[in-house]
Amino acid sequence: MIRTTVVGNYPKISSDKNVPNLRNALNQFDQKKISKEKLEEVYKATILRVIKEQEDAGIDIITDGQIRWDDLVTPFAKNIEGCEINGLLRFFNNNVYYRKPVIKSRIAFKDYTTLEDYKSAKANSFKKLKVVLPGPLTWAKLSLDEHYKNLRTLVEDFSQVLRKEAQRLDQEGVEYIQFDEPSLCNFPQEIGLVKESLKIITSGLKAKSILFLYFGSIKNLTPELLNLAVDIIGIDLVSKPENLDALLKADVKKEVILGCLDARNTKMEDEKEVFKLIEKVAKKIPPEKIYFSPSCGLEFLPHENALKKIKLLSSIAKQFNS
Amino acid sequence: MLLTTSVGSFPKPDCLAKARTQFSRGEITEEELHTLEKKATAEVIRFQEEIGIDILVHGEMERGDMTTYFAERLEGFGISGLVRSYGNRYYRKPVVLGEIERRAPMTVETFKYAQSLTSKPVKGMLTGPYTMTDWSFNEYYPTRRDTALALAQVIHQEVADLEKAGAKYIQIDEPALSTRPEEIDLAIEAMTIVTKGIKAKTISHICYGDFSKIYPRLLDLPVDQLDLEFANSNFANLELFRNPKFTKEIAVGVVDVHSHIIETKEQVKANIKKALEVFPLEKVYIDPDCGLKTRSVEEAQAKLKVMVEAVKEVKKELGIK
Repeated sequence: MIRTTVVGNYPKISSDKNVPNLRNALNQFDQKKISKEKLEEVYKATILRVIKEQEDAGIDIITDGQIRWDDLVTPFAKNIEGCEINGLLRFFNNNVYYRKPVIKSRIAFKDYTTLEDYKSAKANSFKKLKVVLPGPLTWAKLSLDEHYKNLRTLVEDFSQVLRKEAQRLDQEGVEYIQFDEPSLCNFPQEIGLVKESLKIITSGLKAKSILFLYFGSIKNLTPELLNLAVDIIGIDLVSKPENLDALLKADVKKEVILGCLDARNTKMEDEKEVFKLIEKVAKKIPPEKIYFSPSCGLEFLPHENALKKIKLLSSIAKQFNS
Repeated sequence: MLLTTSVGSFPKPDCLAKARTQFSRGEITEEELHTLEKKATAEVIRFQEEIGIDILVHGEMERGDMTTYFAERLEGFGISGLVRSYGNRYYRKPVVLGEIERRAPMTVETFKYAQSLTSKPVKGMLTGPYTMTDWSFNEYYPTRRDTALALAQVIHQEVADLEKAGAKYIQIDEPALSTRPEEIDLAIEAMTIVTKGIKAKTISHICYGDFSKIYPRLLDLPVDQLDLEFANSNFANLELFRNPKFTKEIAVGVVDVHSHIIETKEQVKANIKKALEVFPLEKVYIDPDCGLKTRSVEEAQAKLKVMVEAVKEVKKELGIK
């Protein structure tokens, strides 16, 4: 039995014109035409819709779509001491931007970033939920460090923030906690630092922990990648087809998420091709240890295309399992 | 020497921004929108002449997104649903659905109109094949290379038509080039097709990236001039171009287009002088970091004014006419 999951974010506005539109609500709120309460209603309705769309599509492990997140790094930047938020920068090699956190003084936990959203998603979902957090290296690499001038100490301090967040989520009973670590592909020499950080962050967690690497190559990261202190490794098999070979060559004891549907292109995959790819992996890794997902967050796609992709995901998994 | 220019876009006046929304809702005709675009273009030209810019741009009043504008005019493209680019901003992304072909010239009429308003040269402005590829979804061509080379053919046709129409300077922007250093060979291969046999001066603007990963290979991009941003990183990337020596003409970004703050004349003069420590005077052009469309009309004008004044003073100090 392979299981399906999404990687994290999901388009915030629907192609269906009859559902509440978050883009319009945010504009109206900025122009002081609607109240904060009204905006909050639209946020909640949007999150419910996103949860329901994933459930209806038959996804096994869902997220709340990170609907309140503008990007992967600023939600945490807002909730820690010692950090400001600066101008826009390109998010990896995408035509999509994020705001750069600027580290001004020693960083420390100030408030939980995902707790309230998790609780409210939990109350409204029938499926297993995954909370997605930025990986320690990625968050540090996407920030401008004006204080530490040292990657290691910045990553160590941010790891403490992540640990506190993860432990609190764990107390609430979250089933999966994922750390997105695309920067590790660009800085494979930092795998030792990531290894130490994950030990600190995930020790004692009851929730299953995931490290997801997207956009880049894992060629220079195996076999160490498969020995990190997480239960599951997520890999983008679309952006770098060579990742499949790296995975097949490695001795894999962990569970894996195979990111096989391109979340950055509207083209629909050939079901048979994807099926073959999963079969190849399933010869080496037992199916109950395999999850199947898009290659990265679905917010790079328009809503109608994202929805088609999760339906395809579910359909391929069903065929495989039958 | 030290000729002044701009990267391309100007902010749209409020009345035009409003008209574009009305047009998208079907409330005004294409002709009404077009009349307003022409009026706004004339104003952009008039302003640049008034403050003494040397090489003018038409301001791109008729364009929204720099890839979508061309995708809407080429055979083989569709337009996607809304995709978020940052914050609460969304855009429709081009989708390659079939063989890419050019039905008719896409920018020549606008160029001719802008050029008719001034005796100074106006730049022809295009988006490059690599960037068009990188910023579109692709459901048709088997590879990114196939897409980029097909686009290179149609953009070459447009460059040739602009040259025929009298353009002395033709800019083919490749802002995506620095984001995937591993694909620079493809960008160069595509640009070779675009500029083949063109006598007009060709320019390419590249931004948002770590140039260290593509330099000095970048010098093989077959254009006469590169237009790069420097001000927003406070010239952190300048040293890179000292060794190996920069061989092309360079347009140096001396004002930051992403900041509301208007630089002082002294700051801009210092920026120009920094650039002259690395680039030979006879190869340097001066402009803002990037297109000005995200600034208000007032901010854009103020930034250009201070830029022109700073250049004047530096020229005087160096004894250049």
